[in-house]
Amino acid sequence: MTNRKSENMQANGKSERFIVPIGPQHPALKEPEHFRFTVEGEIVTNAYVRLGYAHRGIEKATEQRNWVQTNYLLERICGICSHIHSTAYCLGVEKLAGVQVPPRALAIRTLVAELERIHSHMLWLGVAAHEAGFDTLFMYSWRDRETVMDILEQLTGNRVNYSANLLGGVKYDIDQEIADSILEGIDFLEERTRHYLEIVTTDALFLQRTRGVGVMTKTQAEVMRAVGPTARASGVTRDIRVEAPYAAYPQFPARITLATNGDVEARFVVRIEELFESHRLIREILANLPESDLRARFPRRIKPGETIIRVEAPRGELFYFIKSNGSDKPERVKVRTPTICNMSSVVKLAVGHQLADIPLILAGIDPCFSCNDRGVIITRRQNKPDLWTWEQLRQYGIGYYDGNNK
Amino acid sequence: MKFGTMISDITASLFKRPVTEKYPLVRYPVPERLRGHLRWDPEKCTGCGLCAMDCPANAIEMIVIDKKAKRFVMRYHVDRCTFCAQCVFSCRQGCLEMSNDTWELAALNKEPFNVFFGEKDDIECILAGSTAQDT
Repeated sequence: MTNRKSENMQANGKSERFIVPIGPQHPALKEPEHFRFTVEGEIVTNAYVRLGYAHRGIEKATEQRNWVQTNYLLERICGICSHIHSTAYCLGVEKLAGVQVPPRALAIRTLVAELERIHSHMLWLGVAAHEAGFDTLFMYSWRDRETVMDILEQLTGNRVNYSANLLGGVKYDIDQEIADSILEGIDFLEERTRHYLEIVTTDALFLQRTRGVGVMTKTQAEVMRAVGPTARASGVTRDIRVEAPYAAYPQFPARITLATNGDVEARFVVRIEELFESHRLIREILANLPESDLRARFPRRIKPGETIIRVEAPRGELFYFIKSNGSDKPERVKVRTPTICNMSSVVKLAVGHQLADIPLILAGIDPCFSCNDRGVIITRRQNKPDLWTWEQLRQYGIGYYDGNNK
Repeated sequence: MKFGTMISDITASLFKRPVTEKYPLVRYPVPERLRGHLRWDPEKCTGCGLCAMDCPANAIEMIVIDKKAKRFVMRYHVDRCTFCAQCVFSCRQGCLEMSNDTWELAALNKEPFNVFFGEKDDIECILAGSTAQDT
């Protein structure tokens, strides 16, 4: 059918080029983002992405809250990797205030971060399998993910937004009962993960969707500044846990997981192998949990200064810049999430692929759209102040949706 | 290269019972550390207001009636609360805790979301004041 249509088109002397708009409603995941793919026949020849549908003004909102309240606001940047956002903020603020966090608190933070990585990667495994049309894998991987969700609920009281971090420490301790149930859960998950690794590397039908699709070479990954498992699947040695260990990673060193093919299959393999690394780290932390207090005293006001902090979120490098002016509120908090770094690779890699492969390429970077939406206002008028107040930003947002500011 | 790599999972599941929780009919035990409705111990509270200051959702209000006589009422907005338990850890007197048995908090009207903690006379005093303002 397509061939006949194509012949007709060529006979008429017209180019068979369409623009397929995808989004802002539900482009691949249930988050808003807009893509425009130019297709010639089935092949994508150009791609365009528009970000910003989920901009919430969180960075600006931090300036209206004190140091303690900001922790919970930033934890809600992402629903999946909430703990790592809070950890990055707490580590940064503690560095700024010069507070020494007890080693046991750092170990528990790291433990929760690794549990979160397991839950995030298993969620991704299901979503990516769903995008490839392998819904059986989606259902079973999500069923097994409940194990780690239950562990997190038992440890902190919540399945998501665990609120495990306090400025200067953590809220919850690990006793023998919880340690035993974590180990039991990890044993089960390790067995299942081994099964999933076998499936994604041997299933003939699944491999047709993933092998050789969306290949990103090492050079491309370096040029496009890819981060996290997306970069590691192309053989780039980039893992903040290894490069610049934070929290308890100096005591419990993580090993880097690499693949070289750079296709979607390699991204599956890297993420699944990272699960084994997380299992190992969790066992090691539980076996050697340092004895100390859980919390250090934390000042309400922090001396003027600025700092940066980098951590490895499940999706890649997460970057925080924090500036204090000596008051009880932050003057500026800047967040850079991994999805924004990886988004350029989707636009680049989409070209040359069939339209049907696009959801898988997009899901391959494990995108989190509401994480990456930030705003920058650049005014060229000299006399106008560049800084907006929270109220101005709010009014601009209301006006935007009413159609006044477009 | 294999076909049907997940057949074994599917056939094993055929012989298992459904795991769906029949929630309103059967109530399963909740985890011990679950964070639910806030509880307040009036004996220990000094009315310092740190909990209200640190609450990220502004769910706690400290209403002072008479500072010298230490008459104050704590107003807890359950609908705003994000159940992060920061107030519990901010409180130096240890008079706040989050219960793990009161967590079914949905309601059809707004009244249950407005909880006053304090002496009975003080709460009545506050309520009388707010109704006087409304009328």
